[in-house]
Amino acid sequence: MTREQKRKIEGSVALFLSTMAAFFGLFWLVFILGDVLIHGIKALNPSLFMNDPVPPGAEGGGLRNAFVGQLLITLCATLIGVPIGVLGGTFLAEYARGRKIARLISVLADIMVSVPSIVIGTFIYALLVRPFGHFSGWAGAAALAIIMIPVVLRTTEDMLSLVPWTLREAAFALGAPYYKVITQVVYRGAATGILTGILLSIARVAGETAPLLFTSFNNSFFSVDMKQPIASLTVTIFQYAMGPYDSWHEQAWAASFVITLFILLLTITGRLIIRLRYK
Amino acid sequence: MAESIELEVKGLDFYYAGNIHALKKINLSVSKNSVTALIGPSGCGKTTLLRCFNRMHDLYPKNRYEGEILFHGRDILSKETDLINLRSRIGMVFQKPTPFPMSIFDNIAYGLKLNGVNRRSDLAERVEKALVHAALWDEVKDKLGASAYDLSGGQQQRLVIARALAVNPEVLLFDEPTSALDPISTAKIEELATSLKKEITIVIVTHNMQQAARISDRTGFLMLGELIEFDRTDKIFTAPSEKLTEDYVTGRFG
Amino acid sequence: MARTAKKNPVDMSFSFITAVASFSVIVFIIGILYVLISESSLAIGKFGVIKFVTSTDWDPVKESFGALTNIYGTVVTTIFSLIISIPVAIGIAIFVTEISPNFLKGPIGVAIELLAAIPSIIYGMWGLFTLSPIMSNHVEPFLKKIFGSVPLIGILFQGTPMGIDILTASVILSIMIIPFTASISRDSFDLTPAVVKESAYAIGATKWEVVKNVVIPYSKLGVFGGVVLSLGRAIGETMAVAFVLGNNHRITTSLLDAAATITVTLANEFAEADKDIYLSALFYLALVLFVMSFITLAMAKFFLIRAERKYSR
Repeated sequence: MTREQKRKIEGSVALFLSTMAAFFGLFWLVFILGDVLIHGIKALNPSLFMNDPVPPGAEGGGLRNAFVGQLLITLCATLIGVPIGVLGGTFLAEYARGRKIARLISVLADIMVSVPSIVIGTFIYALLVRPFGHFSGWAGAAALAIIMIPVVLRTTEDMLSLVPWTLREAAFALGAPYYKVITQVVYRGAATGILTGILLSIARVAGETAPLLFTSFNNSFFSVDMKQPIASLTVTIFQYAMGPYDSWHEQAWAASFVITLFILLLTITGRLIIRLRYK
Repeated sequence: MAESIELEVKGLDFYYAGNIHALKKINLSVSKNSVTALIGPSGCGKTTLLRCFNRMHDLYPKNRYEGEILFHGRDILSKETDLINLRSRIGMVFQKPTPFPMSIFDNIAYGLKLNGVNRRSDLAERVEKALVHAALWDEVKDKLGASAYDLSGGQQQRLVIARALAVNPEVLLFDEPTSALDPISTAKIEELATSLKKEITIVIVTHNMQQAARISDRTGFLMLGELIEFDRTDKIFTAPSEKLTEDYVTGRFG
Repeated sequence: MARTAKKNPVDMSFSFITAVASFSVIVFIIGILYVLISESSLAIGKFGVIKFVTSTDWDPVKESFGALTNIYGTVVTTIFSLIISIPVAIGIAIFVTEISPNFLKGPIGVAIELLAAIPSIIYGMWGLFTLSPIMSNHVEPFLKKIFGSVPLIGILFQGTPMGIDILTASVILSIMIIPFTASISRDSFDLTPAVVKESAYAIGATKWEVVKNVVIPYSKLGVFGGVVLSLGRAIGETMAVAFVLGNNHRITTSLLDAAATITVTLANEFAEADKDIYLSALFYLALVLFVMSFITLAMAKFFLIRAERKYSR
């Protein structure tokens, strides 16, 4: 065998292995999604959305409380997190553009994005659960908001930076003060991007479990009182999957299916918007 | 003087992906141990033609050649051509210096290792020879282990030439090798090109007409993908037979 | 930077509000650190620092707490998940940047992003119901048969294959972090200038030789940053491992044994800690986790910023 043949064989083997790696990665995606789909659809039925949980063994229970609770917590987290994130990102990209402090906060926010979410749960427990003596929906929403803020802040910063500087100059030239330039011109130019960032950040927190475990906790009854413990899909999935009953396992699969579908749809929508708008 | 032909282009058409017709019916022959320059306005196809000689276009999908390029009588555009082998026989130097992320020594040893030179003493000898050849040895002999990125732009370009020379190619393709360099480095590289033609054949693409006039034996003038004129360099610059060539070399456009 | 000559009062209030919003990030980080330290002060006072991180005792009944078993679980699952995920992720990146036909690049990129978007609780549940039986019935007996009696490596495969153990947890973690490593590696690979790759091809290198000797060395800083970032994520991952790791506060040498990570201990015990010292020890654990992951993530960021600077030169 000549040297060149040897090199070519080595190359083909290495490239073959890389290709296998790629399909190995895809294999897991298909495996996991397929599994959630098959088990989830089997367990899906109207009473899941219409009824509240019944004792194990009884017929016809659902997870209405958890669906509603999840929506409430996520909605409140969004209402708290989005304004703070967007305004914070505005500071970095506009008023502090190019300054060291903007760079620092930007880097810290990137780190915050990946800080273990369970640590944020313990932080909120100390701040909002123990002083009041009980778990609450607000505590859960606050924990999710803290996770959300750096995500929204960073995307806002990036999206605002993409707006051409000349656009601002044009607005300044008309005599507009900076806040009007930002709110009336720059935000409009970056609206799609910021909106996408918000969608993706909702997708990110909607699947969080760890920070809710000891903030909003769980509640097997229907409740919309954010001052009390409230059920969420993710914590319910954890509890039901670890529990001993088959009916619980089925409902956990159904809930997983719904939440996965929701998050993947949000993610795909977000990615599609970015692709259509920015590439 | 009887000249033997190194590369012969016969009726070459080239299409970029999307069916962009970049080269139209090119015919020219490159003589052994000579410097052939390709000139013309930007986008005329001179670099495209150069990159046909080592089949660089094959790196990107959907590029298409028609016609023939004979290298010692064999058509390098045929499907059977071994690209790895072809590229080790026809070297290339790019517009910007392209050192690899390794030490100075390893940059040159890399191509040698690919070609089966593995003994440390052989490597050292061949690396030194290549660096001497590229007139860089005196400047780097004390820091062969340093990163290639530490060299100046002109030194990097000579390092890249040394790297190409180390594997003893028969032809060396230069793609505007001095456009990113200062005048002193440019002079050194031009000098190098002229001295190298004793051993190898050189094809150089340049946007600098003085450069073509200074170093080449033959010059081809391209425009809009067509080879307008191909002749001895002194003839192209003093008595071109085409009006377009005359306009270009006298600076009336381009 | 824009400066209006005369400060408009509305403008000043708006800029103030945005500044406060962005400083919230700093407030959170300092706040978390402060709260965790003050909440764990009871445990810090009782167990100190060195003793806490070197003691393997985790006994709520005797009120004696040491973090080593948890730290050990976190480190071991993280290391094994990296061993599995790094080659796969780099393989994916090579495939997407250098091998795949153009029409496949987009879909594979999307697939990787989707894999990253699936919530960790789904990975955890899938691990418990689907992966764990496969591991205990097929993979683990197989590994045990092959490696069980090999000296040294054999130690890793002792015990009964139950599927609820370090190995299963590491496999799930690795599937979770593959997308992070793969997408950062892909982005770094893409930054290798085409002309540098071309010049390697031009001296007759094969595609694999270009990848091995040019693309990977050129982008190693970025890839390394991506690996460290994934490491940071793996350290802090809770739900994906909570289902399949068991909750075993012992140091074990076998991958087929249950263990406990810091995150799993917090998830399982935090809400039911009934004594002040117990809760304080858990806060202390959270503090250790926060410091570990913050340092790792900061390092990752450092490498990624340096890589970015290098490429933009």
